[in-house]
Amino acid sequence: MAKFNLFSEDSNKSPLARLWRKFKNNHPALVGLWVFIAFSLLAATAPFLAPYGVNQQHSDALLLPPSWNEMGDVRFILGTDDLGRDVLSRLMNGATYTFGLSVVAALITTIIGVLVGTFAGISKGIRSSFLNHLLDVTLSIPSLLLAIIIIAILGPGLMNTVWAIILALLPQFIHSIRNLIVDELGKDYVTAYRLDGASKWHILSRGIFPNVYEYIVVIFTMALSTAILDIAALGFLKLGAQPPTTEWGAILAENLGLIYLAPWTVALPGVLLFLAVLSTNLVGDGLRKVLQARKAD
Amino acid sequence: MQPLLKVQALSKTFNMRAGIFSRKKFDVLKNISFSIGKGETIAIIGETGSGKSTLAKLLVGAYSADSGQILLENNTIENNGNRDAQCRYIRMIFQDSATSLNPAVTIAEMLDDCLKFNTDFDKTQRSEKIGSTLLKVGLLVDHQQYYPHMFSVGQLQRVALARALILDPKVVVLDEALSSLDPSVRAQIVNLLLKLQLETGLTYILITHHLSLVRHISDQLVVLNKGEIVEYGATETIFQNPQSKVTQRLLSC
Amino acid sequence: MQLLDIRNLTIELQTSETAIRAVDRVSFSLKEGEVHALVGESGSGKSLIAKAIVGVLNERWVITADRMHWRGVDLMRLTPEQRRKTVSQDIAMIYQDPSRCLDPTAKIFNQIAETLPEVAAKGFFLKRNRERKDRVKALIHKVGIKNHEAVLDSYPHELSEGVCQKVMIAMAIARTPKLLIADEPTTALESTTRAQVFRLLKSLNQLKNMSILMISHELEEIVNWSHGIHVLYCGQMVEAGPTHRIFSQPRHPYTQALLKSLPDYEHGLAHKEPFYALKGTIPTLQHLPIGCRLGPRCPQAQKECVVAPKLSKHHGHSYACHFPLIKDIK
Repeated sequence: MAKFNLFSEDSNKSPLARLWRKFKNNHPALVGLWVFIAFSLLAATAPFLAPYGVNQQHSDALLLPPSWNEMGDVRFILGTDDLGRDVLSRLMNGATYTFGLSVVAALITTIIGVLVGTFAGISKGIRSSFLNHLLDVTLSIPSLLLAIIIIAILGPGLMNTVWAIILALLPQFIHSIRNLIVDELGKDYVTAYRLDGASKWHILSRGIFPNVYEYIVVIFTMALSTAILDIAALGFLKLGAQPPTTEWGAILAENLGLIYLAPWTVALPGVLLFLAVLSTNLVGDGLRKVLQARKAD
Repeated sequence: MQPLLKVQALSKTFNMRAGIFSRKKFDVLKNISFSIGKGETIAIIGETGSGKSTLAKLLVGAYSADSGQILLENNTIENNGNRDAQCRYIRMIFQDSATSLNPAVTIAEMLDDCLKFNTDFDKTQRSEKIGSTLLKVGLLVDHQQYYPHMFSVGQLQRVALARALILDPKVVVLDEALSSLDPSVRAQIVNLLLKLQLETGLTYILITHHLSLVRHISDQLVVLNKGEIVEYGATETIFQNPQSKVTQRLLSC
Repeated sequence: MQLLDIRNLTIELQTSETAIRAVDRVSFSLKEGEVHALVGESGSGKSLIAKAIVGVLNERWVITADRMHWRGVDLMRLTPEQRRKTVSQDIAMIYQDPSRCLDPTAKIFNQIAETLPEVAAKGFFLKRNRERKDRVKALIHKVGIKNHEAVLDSYPHELSEGVCQKVMIAMAIARTPKLLIADEPTTALESTTRAQVFRLLKSLNQLKNMSILMISHELEEIVNWSHGIHVLYCGQMVEAGPTHRIFSQPRHPYTQALLKSLPDYEHGLAHKEPFYALKGTIPTLQHLPIGCRLGPRCPQAQKECVVAPKLSKHHGHSYACHFPLIKDIK
C-alpha cells in the first residue's frame, strides 16, 4: 500500500531538516528547547551578567523579599538572604555549577560511552561482551548511593560529584549505544558499504554515526536530567558543593532553616531546578517522538 | 567459449550454537560448481534454507568460503577462503532497496564514496561518471541530490543498480532483487537489465523464486536443495524435462 | 444470494486543503461460493477497500457509497457495535505478513483456541478443555499441518512464514465465515508454500462453499481459480468481468499492459525479449491526474481522457475507457 505522505515539500529536505520541522510542530518541546538554550547561555555568561558578586554582603538589606512584594527593593530583584547576599546573583552563578557541570558530566559520559560502546559494538564474541558488561557492577547500586560511596572515598567536593555521576550513568549508556550500533551493523547498507570497499572507519563515520547520532542525543538528554538532579541532591546533602559555592542544591540546604521566615530563598532555587529538569525532559521527549514517528514511516 | 565466471567446489560451514557448551557445524553449501559465459544469465532457484542467499554473498565477497575456488576470466579471485579484496567485478543488488541504501547521505555522496574507494578519478571525472551512470539506469542527473527517502520503490532499485554498475562490473548478482516489485515496475526493470546485457555484455546471476521470469530471461539454471546442486543445465532443457524430484516439485507449482 | 453488494464506494482522505480520493467509485458484488479477485498495483486502493468492508479504517478516511450491503444489511447504517458483530460473525480476513500478525508472546495453541466460537458449557471444565484441544487439532489438520504437536506448542517466531500463514487461515475459518478476505496472503511466501496455500483456499471454496475475496498484484496466481476479476488502477475501477474473458479479450489498455508483463502470456515472446511496459510510474497520492488516472501513461490517451470515463457493460464484462481495445457494438 502506498505511503500517504501528504506534503511533498516535506520530503524534499535532508533528514536533519525534516527532523527539525517535525520537532518544531511539537510546541511543548519547542518551548522546552528555548528554556534549555536560555539556561545554557546563562550558565556560560553568569559571572559576567550577575549584578552583584556572589559573596557580596549588604548589611543594610538582610532578608529582603523579592521586588514584587511591597517590602522588597528593586535593587535586589529576587530579594536577599540572611547574610544580605543578592539571591539573583547567587542563583545565576548557581546555573553555572548545577546546569553547567551537569552538561559537562553528561558530555563526558557520552564521549566515554560512545567510545566504549562503539568498540563493544564492532567487536564480536568475548571482547564485545567484556566491554559491554564492564561497568555493570555499578548498575546494582542506585546512582545517588554510588555517588555517596565515591565521595566517602574521595572526599566531598564538586568535581568528585561529577566523577561519581559519570560512573553511575556509564553502564546504561554503554549498553544503549552498543545495541544501537549492533542494530545498524546488521542492516544491508553496511554490507553494501563494505562491498564497495569502505574501511571500518568509513563505515562508522559515514554509515553508522549519521543514522545513530539522533538517538545518542536522546540518551544524552536523559542522562542530563539525571545528572542535574543528582548534583543538586548531593549539594543538598552537603556532600557535593561546599559553601560558599552557589550550587542550587547547596543554596537550598543553607536556607532550609529560613523556610518560614523567607520562603523565597528556598522556593526560587527549587523552581529553577524544576524548570531545568523539565526543559531537558521536554526536549528529549520531543526528539524521541520524532524519531519514533520516523521509524514508523 | 571460455566461461567468464567459474565456480569450483565451493563449500561453507557455519558454527551454530547447540546447547550451552557445544557447537554444531551446519553445512550451508556443499561442493557447488558451475560456470557462466559473458552476456549470459544464470538463475539459482531453491526453497528457503537451500543456501541461495549464502551463495550470493559468497560470490560477491561478503562471506568467504571455507574451500573452493572462484575464477573470473581465468584469474583466481577466491581460493580456499582467501579473497582478493580489490576485485570489484562482481557486484550485488539486494532484495529490499529501502534498507540497502544509507538513509543519511544523498545518492551523489554514496556513489562518490564508491568511486573514491576504488578508482583514481578526480572530482570532475567522478561527477561525470555519476551523471552518466544515473542516465544509464533511467534516472535524471539531478536525482543525485536526493536522499533515499524521496524515491519510490522502483526508482530505489534503479539507484541500487546504478551503485552496482558504477564500477563497471562484469557480473551482477540479483539477490531476490525483483521479488518485492509491482508487475509493471518489474517489467520495466527487467527491460532495462536486458538492454544493458545486450549493450555491454553484462552477466547476471539471478536468485529468485519467480519461475516464469526465470524461464524467460535465464540461459542456465541451478537448482539448490539443502546446500547441494540437485540439477544444473540449460533452462529450457530443465523446464521441459526435470530430472530430480526436487526440481519436479518446484516446477510443478 | 448476493453476499456483498457495493456500489460507487468512494474513500477520501481529508487534508487541510482538499480531499484526496484514494478510491474513486468502485462497485462490485460477490455471490455465495464465488472467488473474486481485486487486482491492482501499489496505490490502487485495494487494501483500503478490504479494510472499509471490515470497518477498520480510522476517522481520517471518509467513506461514502451508494450501497454497501452485506447479505441485505446496509453496513453504513449500522452502529459500530452492530457492525462489528455482523462482520465478526461472517467475514474473516488474512493478511500479508503472517508472522507479524500473530501474537509473539502466546503459543499457537492459545491463539487458535481464542478464536473458537463459544460452546454451551456442558460437563466439567476438564471435559471442556479436552473438547477445545480436539477442535484446535481438527482445525490444524484441516489446513494441512501434519505435525500438530510441534506447531501447537511453539511461538510464532519459531515457525516459517508458510506455517504461520496456514495458522492464520485456521484462525480465520474457526468460525466458518461466509466470506474470507485474503489481502495479498502469499507475497511473503516462496513458490511451494504459495501453491499449498492456494490449493487450501481453493478446497475451502469448493468444499465449504466459502466465498473468497482475493487481493493481489500478481495476475498469474489467480487466473486458475477465480471466477471474476476486478482490475484497479490508482483507486479507479478499470475493468471487471469473468476471468477467462478478461484474459482472452482485455478491453482496457492497463489490463493489457498487466497481462503482457507476464512472461507466459504471449507465447510469441521470444527468450530475452523485452516486455511490453507502460512508460512512467504510478503517480503518488498528491499528484493524481484528473479524469482517467492512466491518462499520462496510456499510449492511446487523447483529449477526451481528462474526463473520467463512464463504465460500459457488455455481457457481464465492464470497463471504463474512452478508447477500448475492442469496440463492442451495442
